[in-house]
Amino acid sequence: MTHRLVIVFSAALLLASLATADNKDAATTSKAPRAADGHPDLNGIWAYAIDLPPVTLKKVINGKVSNAEIDQSAAKPAKRPVPGALPSTPAPTYKPEFREKVKDLFDNESKTDEVFYCGKPGVPRIGPPRRIIQLPTEMVFLYEDVSGDPYRIIPTDGRAHRKGANPSYYGDSVAHWEGDTLVVDVTNFVENGWFGEGGYFHTDAMHVTERLWRDGENLIWQASVDDPKVLSAPWTMPPRVITPSEDPLEESPPCVEDDGHRLLNSDHHQQR
Amino acid sequence: MRHKISAILTVIILFFVAAPMWAHHSPSAVFDMSKEFTLTGTLTKVDWVNPHIVVYLDAKKDDGSVENWKFESNPPSWFRRVALGRDDFAKAIGQTVTVQGVRAKAGGLYGYLLKITFPDGNSLELVFKPTS
Repeated sequence: MTHRLVIVFSAALLLASLATADNKDAATTSKAPRAADGHPDLNGIWAYAIDLPPVTLKKVINGKVSNAEIDQSAAKPAKRPVPGALPSTPAPTYKPEFREKVKDLFDNESKTDEVFYCGKPGVPRIGPPRRIIQLPTEMVFLYEDVSGDPYRIIPTDGRAHRKGANPSYYGDSVAHWEGDTLVVDVTNFVENGWFGEGGYFHTDAMHVTERLWRDGENLIWQASVDDPKVLSAPWTMPPRVITPSEDPLEESPPCVEDDGHRLLNSDHHQQR
Repeated sequence: MRHKISAILTVIILFFVAAPMWAHHSPSAVFDMSKEFTLTGTLTKVDWVNPHIVVYLDAKKDDGSVENWKFESNPPSWFRRVALGRDDFAKAIGQTVTVQGVRAKAGGLYGYLLKITFPDGNSLELVFKPTS
């Protein structure tokens, strides 16, 4: 009986916290700026969200010492509960017959991962956009990436996915608003990409859903991946909190990989 | 009812325990981080390329011969975000600089640049542990 009471009490507390989160969600999104059509305004330059080495720069100039570190929070899963976020898990679950393949790809990632060799990360591995241009009937996502600087033009006028388009790393995207959340539906991928560094290969059946919304001044990005050919269930990633940035986009330098042939073992090198 | 509460608890627990899955970068995959060495020579070229910038150094040996060393370092996007650009290195092309680095495990005249000191005494150093 006591046990049951504890469970009920815990559930009540958690439900109350969820209700609080819902209210907070409504409060924060209502404070967020809005476009002329009433939807939340996602326009802007957003923080660089690709992992960089965790290194401090120590600079000595005319005898004066200074240290510089980089805020990498946009490249990491959110460390706090994010209002409006879907339940998430740290990693996808593959069907049993593919788990050995995932492990093998991950163990040999520095040899098997195209991104190591300047390949395109694709969606959703590239993460949130660096810049969003929000137009009445389409969204333009701009990125900075080691492999180049891709862009995506995403219709929001209710049209269906293109028919006959060639498969690609960034897929074919259409979007719509669900309340204050922009939901981007992405299909038509090449089948040789990875959606995560952990050897997370996908097939041409992959279907990605990205959700973007405002939390006060910040942008929230959360992606879900489904690939019924290899995953045992759809995977929703932890959300990421992207702060506004004043760092303008800059053309990425060319990618000239020169480490692969120097690797003497399968040590991991980190992409994302 | 119990089933519903369990479902809610499961959802909430999953919501809060999402943990990072990203690995940490380590040049140790290519370089022997335990053996730092210092080299003084003429800076000849700076390539501002992904995924690592490359700095070239001509170092004279005791017998007078010159070795053409190549050092990679952090990605250009990292340097950009600590407010350094190609010119912060390239301004010293043709001048004598001192590089501290680690050598490729595979050998050759190839290393990872950890610190560079310019003729005026100014220096740039990559510190792999956050400074306090």
